[in-house]
This record gives sequence, C-alpha cells and structure tokens, in this order.
Amino acid sequence: MGNYRFHTPDGVIDILPQEATVKRRIEADIRELFSSHGYSEVETPGIEYYDVYASEDFVATEDMFKLTDKDGRIISMRYDGTVPVARLAATLLKDEQPPLRLSYIEDMYRFKLSGGGKLREFSQAGVELLGLDNAEADAEVIALGIQSVLASGITDLQISIGQVDFFRGLVEEWGITSEEASELSTAIDQKDIVRIEQTAERIGLSDEAKEILDMISNRFGTYDVLDAFEEKVKNDTSRAALKNLREILDALKDYELLQYVSIDLGMLRSLDYYTGMIFKGFTYEIGFPILGGGRYNNVISTFGRKLEAVGFSVGINLILTALRRQDKLPEFVEVDAIVGYKDGEGMRQAAFATAKALRETGLKVIVDTQHLSEEELDAYAEARGIDQVVYVEEEDEVEEENT
Amino acid sequence: MITIALSKGRLAEKALDLLEAAGYDVSAGREESRKLILEDEKTGLRFIMAKPADVPTYVEYGAADIGVVGKDTLLEEGRSLYEVIDLGFGACRMCVCGPASLKGKLDQIPNKRVASKYPNITRAYFEGTKKESVEIIKLNGSVELAPLIGLAEVIVDIVESGRTLKENGLDVLETVADISARVVVNRVSMKMKEAEIVPMLDALRKQVAIKNAQKAAEGK
Repeated sequence: MGNYRFHTPDGVIDILPQEATVKRRIEADIRELFSSHGYSEVETPGIEYYDVYASEDFVATEDMFKLTDKDGRIISMRYDGTVPVARLAATLLKDEQPPLRLSYIEDMYRFKLSGGGKLREFSQAGVELLGLDNAEADAEVIALGIQSVLASGITDLQISIGQVDFFRGLVEEWGITSEEASELSTAIDQKDIVRIEQTAERIGLSDEAKEILDMISNRFGTYDVLDAFEEKVKNDTSRAALKNLREILDALKDYELLQYVSIDLGMLRSLDYYTGMIFKGFTYEIGFPILGGGRYNNVISTFGRKLEAVGFSVGINLILTALRRQDKLPEFVEVDAIVGYKDGEGMRQAAFATAKALRETGLKVIVDTQHLSEEELDAYAEARGIDQVVYVEEEDEVEEENT
Repeated sequence: MITIALSKGRLAEKALDLLEAAGYDVSAGREESRKLILEDEKTGLRFIMAKPADVPTYVEYGAADIGVVGKDTLLEEGRSLYEVIDLGFGACRMCVCGPASLKGKLDQIPNKRVASKYPNITRAYFEGTKKESVEIIKLNGSVELAPLIGLAEVIVDIVESGRTLKENGLDVLETVADISARVVVNRVSMKMKEAEIVPMLDALRKQVAIKNAQKAAEGK
C-alpha cells in the first residue's frame, strides 16, 4: 500500500501555476460572454443519480464514474452539463416561462478516456437555450461557441455544421430499415467510403441515392453545398433541414462570423439524441474537436416537460492544450510588487497599509514575512522577477523603487 | 506539413509506391536509415514509421494527419477516425478457423473457447454479430497451435493463402471480415488541412482506380 501516493490516477492532471491562472481567466472571459448575452449560470451537483443519464441511454453504462449511496442506489459523477440542466428545466424550473437561457462552467467526469484529450476529469463551459425551435436560436448558440473560443485567444477556428434531419429525410424517402440506416450513418460519420458503397449496394439503393451519399462524404462549403443538395433532394424533411441550415448561415453572416463555418452533412453522431442542427469546432495542434453542440428537442420531454432545446459545450482543458501547442499561452505576472519594512515601532502597520493601497490599484503584492533587509529584498525580487520593491523605513515616508 | 503514419514493412513500401504514382515526391520516406521520422521540408511531407497497431493511435490523437494501415488493425483498435480509401493491397480475410470436422457445426459447441491475437474483433463477432458469449483467450502468435493442443476449440485469425492452416489440419469455418490496407485521416486534420489533404486523397483514389482497372483487365 502507499505506492501510489506520489501519483495522480489515470486521466486526471495537476494544473500548475500560470496555466491555472490562464484557465481561470479563460473561464472568467467565457462566463462574462455568456452573462453579457443574458444567460443565467446554474450549478448542478457533482453527482447525479445514475438513472438521470442511464434511463434513456443518454450515456453508456461503461462511460460513467459510478458510486453507491448509503441506500445502495447508484450514483454517477457529473458526465456532462446538458442532461442535468434538462432535468433542472423540467423540475425546479418547470414554471419558468420559456425561452430560458442557462449556462454552466463545471468539471465533468468520464470513466472511459472518451472525453476529448482523453482526460477523465475536465472542465466544460456551455449554454442551453430552451423553448425555442428556430434557426435564430441555433445561430445564437453557434455564435456563442465561436466567440467563446475566440475569447480564449485561439484565432484559427473551423466550425462544421450538420443537420441530422437531412439524413432522417433520406432514410424515410429510401424506405430503408432502422438497422440499415444505423449502419449507413455510422459509415458516413466515419467517412468509410468502402462501407458506404457496400451498404448502399446491399440495401439496393438507386444510383441517384448513391450519388447523394457520395456528395455527403465529399462536399464541404457553405451556400454552394446547400444549393447542390437542394437540386438533388426531393423529400420534405431533408429540404426543411437544408432550409434550416441556410437560415443559420444567413444569421451567422449577420453575426459577421460566417468565415469560421462550413457545412458538413456527413456529421451523424448520436442520432438518437440530436434532432436538428449539430456542430463541432476544430483548431490546429489538437486532434480532437474542442467544442460541440446541437439541437436536442426530445431530451427534456423525457423528464416530463415539452421544451425544445439547443446548446453547446466547449472543453477548457482542450483550449488550454491548443494554446500551449500553438505558442499562444498568455503569460501572466503572478506578483507585481513586494513590500518590506525595517524592524521598528509601527513599521509593519505602515507596510500593510502600503500593500493595501497598492493592491487597490490592481497590483498583486506580497508583504515580506522574513524580515529581509533592503538589500536582501532587492535580491529576492530580482531572483523572482518581481518588478517593484517597496521598503518601509519611516512611518510616513515610503521609499519606492523599480528593480 | 502533412504527417503520414505508415505501418513498417511491406505495407509502407506499397503505400509509398502509390503516393509516388500519384505524383508526390516520397524520397524522404524511402531513405534507408533507422530514423523513425523522415521529413522533407521541400515537399511538406513527413513520414513516421510505426508499428501497425500504433498507426490508428497516432492518427486519432492527431500526431499524424494521415495513416495507412490494415483493416484488421482498424477493427481491433476501434479508434475514432475517418476511414477514407480502400487501397486494395494487403488483401486477406479475418476468419474463424478450426478443425475441418467442425464445419457447419460451430454453433453446436456451447461455451466455446476462442484463441486470437484480435480479442476485440473476436468479441465483436461472437457477441455482436452471432449473439453468443464465448471465452476469449488472447495469444500473441502461432495461434494455430491453440486448437491443436486443446487450448481452444477455434481461433480467429487472418487467412491469406490458407497454407499454414492446411498444414496444421485446420480449415476456415466462417469469414468475419474482408481485410485490406486503408487510408485513415484524423477528424480534425480533415477540416484544418483540407486544402492539402483532399487533393492528396483524390489523387490516391485515382491511382487505386487505375490499379483496379489494370487488375480487372489482367484477370480477363
């Protein structure tokens, strides 16, 4: 026993000075961004009943960090922000008039190393916009996603937007079974051209259908992609999905954020969870999407309240890693000044008063606790890279110098 | 810079041939040395020579943008990747094999023991496809030994010519999957480096189509 006491478990990390400061700054900026758009922050518990995540198969059993309470009930640590907020919206907030704008910044726990960046504990910031079912709401959430990444200092950002109804419409139009649809959607999501072709062949899809499948895997862009599909696709569900995407692009153009987005109709993950637009965000030097979200109109109704919803979450640890690898990690001065004082009547009190006054101007100030002499204080500041040294010698005379 | 992870050995050679035919200067990748990273500033290509089973890992994490690897490895590793091209070479089958006497009787053995180098593929096939619980015994090589010596009733392994099987009195009982070399792409690289990667994939597809046409013509 005890061999592990110097280590942290798999999938969790210590965040050191500087990086922790940067992380908190990013969180503060994102919190401010959400708040400035009228989103109210909520805190949900760090642990939930297992059923919250498991009963509708929102999360696979193996993915949850599980505990038991004193009565033997299964508890899961907070897996994501959305499902607890959905529970909240249908229970304690059930009398609040929609639309509801809610946000969170919390740590998430995943048992399998499935979280982006393969961490088991990581921070996510996100919003949920509840009670609206239109492209404006979709675009508002995408815009907040883009802005939260930009606020962190990342400039290279690619957002891919899909629409799961587009594929649903095709499935209805082609009259294929749900097993066939599921196999096809998995293959499309993996851009596994071989399997797409084999499956299409086995199902006996028409040449027209095969052409559409080919386009789904290979066409990216913005309005041009929508134009191309609109020419090919006949069914109402798919056409409504394309119209929704066009309206989202229009709105993002007005947000002046269109340059960050492209359409990818081949994103078909979590089809039983999402019901409309879905999106993911990417940047350089990190192999995982840093943000993701979409419309999930059927989730809150599983808790007993009919409420449409759209939301996103961004991985703060992933942003931090990307900033580090892109050499964009801002450097923060942790200490601006040190105040020392000569031993003597009232000197310490004067030093505390001086430090307080400096802190009120926004500086980060240490008061010397080692009774260093003026020379020692200078040396200490020099060694630690502290810019300002104040040495209190007389009660009302403060000597200040810059090193 | 595009980083390409190759499976050390024959598969790497064939992948380089194909890239060359597609118009890329791959001399860096052919450099005879023990270096594991072969980089060419001029062409903007960097090759990493990895163990086949590690190629999907490099690509999933984005340490490599593109990888060339056998379908068997992809199935076994189950990574989250884009799997974009079937290169056609390295073709073989993943099969359930055992004594020929078991042909057509596989389903009649209860509580089967299955030996394999590919425990995940084995589990997915028996539990997922066949809806049957089996005991999986992981081995690292010479899997054919297992049924001969009574360690397992059957094995799941790659079959190329089938000669090793025949010489050991074993036969193919069922086919699990067709295997060949695939091009995989990191999900983020596909978006962030689209301008470089998409043309490369198109050029490779064209070469594969030409090769397949040639093969078909020779076959006739």
